[in-house]
Amino acid sequence: METPLDLRRWQEKPAGVAYRRWVIVTTGLRQLTRMRIFQILLFLAWTAGVLMAAVGFIFTQSVASGGWLESWAADFGPRVHAIVSAVCSLVLLYPDICIHGLFSTVFWWHSFVGLGLSLVALSIVMPRLIARDRASNALTIYLSRPLTSFDYLVGKLGIIVGILLLLWTGPLLFGWLLSMAFAPNSDFFVYSLTALLHAGLFNLIALVTLATVALGVSSLGKNTRSVMMLWIGIWIIAGAIASIPTTPSAIRAASFSHDLFEIRQNIFRLDEILVKAGETLPIINRDVARTMIQAGEHAQSHDIASAYAGLAGLVIVSSLVFSRKLRPE
Amino acid sequence: MRDVIIEARGLGKTYGSQRALADVNIAVPPGTIGLLGPNGAGKTTFIKCLLNLETPTTGTATVLGCEIRAQNRASRERVGYSPEQDCHIPGMAGCEYVTYCGQLSGMSFQRARQRAHEILDLVGMGQERYRSVDTYSTGMKQRVKLAQALVHDPELVILDEPTNGLDASGRESILQLIGSLWKQLGVSVMISSHLLHDIERICDRVIIIADGRVIEHESMEVLKNRHRRIVELTPSGEPERFISVLKNAGLPVERLSNGHLRVETPSESAEPILSLMRQHNLPPAEIVANPNALHELFLQSLAASKTPQNGNAA
Repeated sequence: METPLDLRRWQEKPAGVAYRRWVIVTTGLRQLTRMRIFQILLFLAWTAGVLMAAVGFIFTQSVASGGWLESWAADFGPRVHAIVSAVCSLVLLYPDICIHGLFSTVFWWHSFVGLGLSLVALSIVMPRLIARDRASNALTIYLSRPLTSFDYLVGKLGIIVGILLLLWTGPLLFGWLLSMAFAPNSDFFVYSLTALLHAGLFNLIALVTLATVALGVSSLGKNTRSVMMLWIGIWIIAGAIASIPTTPSAIRAASFSHDLFEIRQNIFRLDEILVKAGETLPIINRDVARTMIQAGEHAQSHDIASAYAGLAGLVIVSSLVFSRKLRPE
Repeated sequence: MRDVIIEARGLGKTYGSQRALADVNIAVPPGTIGLLGPNGAGKTTFIKCLLNLETPTTGTATVLGCEIRAQNRASRERVGYSPEQDCHIPGMAGCEYVTYCGQLSGMSFQRARQRAHEILDLVGMGQERYRSVDTYSTGMKQRVKLAQALVHDPELVILDEPTNGLDASGRESILQLIGSLWKQLGVSVMISSHLLHDIERICDRVIIIADGRVIEHESMEVLKNRHRRIVELTPSGEPERFISVLKNAGLPVERLSNGHLRVETPSESAEPILSLMRQHNLPPAEIVANPNALHELFLQSLAASKTPQNGNAA
């Protein structure tokens, strides 16, 4: 009847809840990074970061007095050299417009790349978040351990945060830091910091929105395919409907991609940057200035209040969905 | 050593108008405890309430001295649970899954990994532990489920139908392992099973639940002593003579469809019947005392719970 049990007892004090949540996050991310498609996304994201660093590096080095741009322009004769010197002087004279403007534009561009890659990654990870745990009854395994459904959610939320850090925030900070590392003076740091903070704010808003919507969608069903279709529907189809000019603003606000676009425009304020540049920079002629002002007006956010309200609504609805669905069956 | 591992006070659970568990008051000492009851009796609800997987509607309980509501996480720190249904994490290899479960219980990665391999050896998993759990047979899934319940060295393991889907030899080794947990390691086991024979083999205490109420909670020894003494004998020949001898001795006899004779005896052992057979030169081919004792007790308890005067019926 009895079998000899060759088993040492484990009598150590168990690690705290923060460690257990961390385990959920790291295990989820480790599983994800084994996937080929996620590795490709990582490569693309960090390539974008390197590109951003390269743009920043070239910009900071170019405008340095006696830098390679000035030397290179001298080869084309005194006229070209004078124009280049004037442009470089403009950067030094109007750092709030030139440095802030360039970095805002780069970060604005990068927010499209980062958000796009994050959305693709979330489409892959979506079924793995909650739906698959529900389908395979793994939720019971989590909740029968010293974890609550809140701990489980924090862990899953951590996976989404990790994805966005790896695909968006990480390359953003990497690109900026590398640009600043070789900057010739502190103006570059001072005037690019506001742009970075704007990028960080947009990143945070997108993170909160995507995390809650993703958790809500993932907890809606047990069928992984239907969950993925639902996510793509909410992302792409709702986004496409919102992009039709005749769509009522209430329906537009229901699309998180539309809301995030509006909020992006509002946070980066490219409109203000372009208008200010067109009005202030002396080197720009009237036609170019008019074009810049028009482009700035086009870049304005149209209904920012609806966008914030729409995102808030989506976050609340998603939170209600996953908080109700997280029960073992 | 604790005197009581589980204590429920007025524990109840309703789903809408459906009562799943009603006013359960019980104090369970450590050991190997069998949880019995017909389908829908409330066994799984009772287990889920103890693990806080379901919120009790009324009452409360303590598990290993921790109040399940007030000390939510702590009450499960030293408890292992193997549910009835499959519950793996897709895409993970067996040893990775068990390691992960150990980490979720607060073990460091190294300790969890080492312990996962030890436990997987113990439950009889070989090289297949490196394969994805999705590819496992039902028996392998049962083993890995048991391993995840044991990996963090719990003081109490709750097993819901742990031998489902196992072949005869697999079932035997798992039952031996479960039986040894308390005797050799001092790990208490609460096992819910429909297989009364398994419970009878390994448990030293039984809880019978019906209609959401605990209708019996006793040690196996006491239960068996309370049971009518039944001896089942197989006549070697002349069954009619066997019957007449037993009837003449005043013993109620029933002939079973398989040819065996079922005899009710006032004694605790089969010895008086054996001597009676010897006197009449009728050696039985086989004689078994108290066969299916638990089964009978189980049916008796269920019948008693449904009588109107008992008041336990729904």
